[in-house]
Amino acid sequence: MTSSAVEAEAPDLVCQLDSVHGMVDALSAVRWKRHQDAVVELSEHGLVVILEDTGCLQAKVYLQRELFVRYEYNAEGRPRFGVSLGLFVDCLNSFSVPGRSSTIEIQYPGPDMQLLLKSVDSHDVCIYAEIRTRIPDTISWDYHFEPAGSTPLTFTVKSAALKEAMDDLEWPGSSIEIIVQPDPPCVTFKGEGHGDLQIDFTYYVNTDLVLAFHCDHQVSYRYKYKFLRAITSNLPSSVIKDNRGSKLSIGRGGMLKVQHLVSVARAAASHTHNDSASHQQPSRIAYIEFFVKSVVDEVN
Amino acid sequence: MKFKAFLTEHGVGLLEKRFLSAFDKMGKVCHLLLTRDHAIFLHNLLNGDGVQCIAQFRKHALFDDYRISSQNEDRIAFAIDVSLLLRAVRSSVSICTEFGNGPTANRLQIKLVKKLPLNCTQPMPFLTFETKGYKSAVVQDVPISKPLSRAEVLELQTALDLAQDLPQTLVQVPDLNQLQNLVERMKHVGDLLNVSISKYGDLHVQISTTLVTIGSEFRKLLVIGEQAEAPSDDRNLSARTRSEMTISRGDAQHFQVSVKHFSRSIQCQLAKPDCTFYGIAS
Repeated sequence: MTSSAVEAEAPDLVCQLDSVHGMVDALSAVRWKRHQDAVVELSEHGLVVILEDTGCLQAKVYLQRELFVRYEYNAEGRPRFGVSLGLFVDCLNSFSVPGRSSTIEIQYPGPDMQLLLKSVDSHDVCIYAEIRTRIPDTISWDYHFEPAGSTPLTFTVKSAALKEAMDDLEWPGSSIEIIVQPDPPCVTFKGEGHGDLQIDFTYYVNTDLVLAFHCDHQVSYRYKYKFLRAITSNLPSSVIKDNRGSKLSIGRGGMLKVQHLVSVARAAASHTHNDSASHQQPSRIAYIEFFVKSVVDEVN
Repeated sequence: MKFKAFLTEHGVGLLEKRFLSAFDKMGKVCHLLLTRDHAIFLHNLLNGDGVQCIAQFRKHALFDDYRISSQNEDRIAFAIDVSLLLRAVRSSVSICTEFGNGPTANRLQIKLVKKLPLNCTQPMPFLTFETKGYKSAVVQDVPISKPLSRAEVLELQTALDLAQDLPQTLVQVPDLNQLQNLVERMKHVGDLLNVSISKYGDLHVQISTTLVTIGSEFRKLLVIGEQAEAPSDDRNLSARTRSEMTISRGDAQHFQVSVKHFSRSIQCQLAKPDCTFYGIAS
């Protein structure tokens, strides 16, 4: 068999991950509905898992190749396939044994274009899974994020505080207005429904809560609550424990971009102190991005 | 019919901490068959569907001073609620320990009685637990079904005899916790589990739907009964392929079982076995 023939048969990707639990955490962060179809894109840089909801909300999970113990990429271009997110996470969970770190191998494609998973810890016990994939739709989603002006409008808040705020904002039962103003430097989340609720995060006053703030002019946009809620509803507990911050940016047209960091470190190696965000090596982190389109008011 | 015996400390421990806890997971009600030499707990032996479970004890394992008599060759059988039985054993234990140990320690007596409960016109059968202490006695009555007729006992005994047939090949499963975790996760995926056990000592468990297949293979397990050497070229095959080939060679038995039933049967590990063997009976 010539070497070129062997290469032609090699799968697009064979990679090994030593922290299944971390990957489950990262993927769970983008679960906001029971049934979600994800599009997975493979490249030499890593995997990206993309989800979308009714043209208003998009989420991406970036799993860089540095997260993997082994990453062999043989494809030309960037193969994409569709897979059920819930099924993928349930399968990964089958491999995660409480109290033990387990190494799994992920391969795509299998003989029938499936996504193949198998445990590689032991010769005598083997867990495997084969997940059917589909050809993803070719609709290009319009989530292009552009800065609103010459200076990007962005602020970083404690992820735990953001989650709490999102949970509380369910109460008014209305769409949520986000107001960012430079003077005093403050972010306000406001809901006016069958009750009124306003949550202010002021920079300087709450340096514990607001870690960074850049805003040169006031902006205000409305967002549907259910999409805002999706941003934090399934944030893994490790994000709270690691005391991480989430970065929010508002772009042109009110497009909201939210970035979270999820640790994918092995259980044995994780740190549990407050400053872990700065001590964590960047390669052991998965990046989660959400894009939420603002509600366009009919009467301006 | 008469039955009276004293539960030993060892017997109480076996029942309270191990076997009744396991039986509690199998189902609400079980049969208790008492013979001259044995006390046997049986679950679901007469129904045919679902998990069947048998715990057989020689009388000395549980009892002292065991006395039984009946017109049916000294066999007595009845149905009893497992959780009530477990509760009675547990509270008897706490009463016993309160009064201390030693030769004057009170003993836990159980016996079959007929009593007239409140608001009833007819006396009902009970399995009674009596703890006689230094100064006081505590009596607990666990209601039981009417004792089984001669024909019903025969049916039970026949089912018990059938269940004693061992499969040709048994493999020792080392890590029930791992298997239990896996099967719990598999429950989310589908309903039917494919299980195969080979003469080489391989146990293969797999669940399949149109969208996903999840499986696990345990290799080189200890084999009791019919065994064979695995062909060496099997080593590099995928678990699924290996299992299919072994079955087609006739070196493995396989069957399908409801994942819920299988998961429930693994709960038997609450009985804290020293070792567990799995086999597929024909």
